[in-house]
Amino acid sequence: MTEAANPDIRSRQVSNMRVTINDAVLIEQYRKGDSEAMERLVLKYQNRIYNVILKICADPDDAAELTQETFVKVIENLNKFEGRSGFYTWTFRIAVNLTLNYCQRNSRLAFRSLDAEQQQQDDSQVKQVLKDFLSDDSSPDPAAEVQSKELYRIAARTLMGLDEAHRAVIVLRDIEGMSYARIAEVLDIELGTVRSRLSRARSKMRDILEDILR
Amino acid sequence: MKENPDMNTNASNERIDELLNSYIDDELTVEQQAEVERLIDQDAKIAQRLRQLQKCQILVGSMPYAEAPPSVLEGVKASLADRSLPSEEQPAYEQQAGKKYVLLRKVLAAAAMITLAAVLSVVIHRFVAPKTAPDKPAARTVAASGFSGRLELKTSALNAVDAFIKSAIDDNGLSASINPERRQGRRIYSLDCTREGLHSLLDDLDNIWTELDSATLFVNTEIFGVQTVVDAVTTKQIAEIAGQDSSKRRIELAKDFAVLNNIAENLPDKEIRVAIEAGDSSLTQQWRIFKPVLTSNQKAVKKPADQVQEKQTVHLTIILDW
Repeated sequence: MTEAANPDIRSRQVSNMRVTINDAVLIEQYRKGDSEAMERLVLKYQNRIYNVILKICADPDDAAELTQETFVKVIENLNKFEGRSGFYTWTFRIAVNLTLNYCQRNSRLAFRSLDAEQQQQDDSQVKQVLKDFLSDDSSPDPAAEVQSKELYRIAARTLMGLDEAHRAVIVLRDIEGMSYARIAEVLDIELGTVRSRLSRARSKMRDILEDILR
Repeated sequence: MKENPDMNTNASNERIDELLNSYIDDELTVEQQAEVERLIDQDAKIAQRLRQLQKCQILVGSMPYAEAPPSVLEGVKASLADRSLPSEEQPAYEQQAGKKYVLLRKVLAAAAMITLAAVLSVVIHRFVAPKTAPDKPAARTVAASGFSGRLELKTSALNAVDAFIKSAIDDNGLSASINPERRQGRRIYSLDCTREGLHSLLDDLDNIWTELDSATLFVNTEIFGVQTVVDAVTTKQIAEIAGQDSSKRRIELAKDFAVLNNIAENLPDKEIRVAIEAGDSSLTQQWRIFKPVLTSNQKAVKKPADQVQEKQTVHLTIILDW
């Protein structure tokens, strides 16, 4: 399914374009002393930031803390924000950097929790759900298919099987719906690197899914 | 040296995977899309691989959307409460330099004000000073060429500003004289219109000027490839430059604005700069520059009609970038 065909992603992106000027106004209001302007910015972006962080770090408590830390950093550095990139891009860059650093510091912990989860889920029911999902060549219906908790757990587990760099690029693309150019800006990498990294990440995901089936 | 066939196959597969992923993500050109679709139709393995990759995308993309717990906003609010707001932050005179520092700032500010006053008086005099009859008729040289220049705008709100410009162009009935292009994410508008049309468009564009990170005007001179550059240019300045009748006057005015804007950008104290812009502080009252007035029976020389009207067409290329 292409990005254009995904109405959720498309509406989120259209909404980004519409709100950019408002972001600038809110930032200016905050700089002039209106603290409520910052609260409105936090309210506007907190769910999306939290959602991306959660999918990368896989722990709700850590995700909440990292989201909060992201906004604190945004506030601390707002005087350095020159507006060369949009507020949205800048905020995501801070969030992803904080999360990747956190993941690297806690990689052993993450792998341990992954192993524990893996043991719980290696049952025949999960395998059957995944087998049905992968073998179904009909037009995909994500709403119906991924509503099952098993499949969601498989998705989370597959994501955690990727290294942080691959996980970040997948989450920004497939969950946040960013274009390749925007991902390049957030991760501060070349457009070609986004392309190849995303391709390798999906290929690796496919391998992990097949491993689960064995 | 023999090529390793396995390596070639792997590289080829990686290249196909990249193409298929870019296809899934709608990141290919129309030609590339057609090429991929041809490959999918012809090769069942590639079609199968596409479905596998799509499944991966669907699996991740359809994970439940999680909402941030209330603790996030509360934590940020608490952090905000601990901090002083940017506008409340006062310079630490006592700790940094004390009275000497304040005195130095005042001297610097006064020096900058004097320089600014001198430049302003030159500029204003050039606008409103009574003109004597020219030694030679100037109509021919005036008509030689209209304003021609390039306006480079940078903004982080590219799409919103772009939409506004398009709307302003439509509102001013300039769609026919605009040739919009997109190159590597930049928006380029090549505008040929009357001065009045340009002024009207600039009036509208003034509304989005605060959304710009920078605005630079390049005024073409009569020497090919040589331009005068005005940084931090305003819409009024552009209109005034474009409104001049001769290339020489346009260049002179552009240079004046360039100096003026540069001084304004580098004033030692932001508060003073704001006061100058507001024009209501006691400092600016002190340095107020009065318009030169006619003191005799001299009459301002009216320009011949053909001098004003003969060449009213202007050319402006607007480049909008990140």
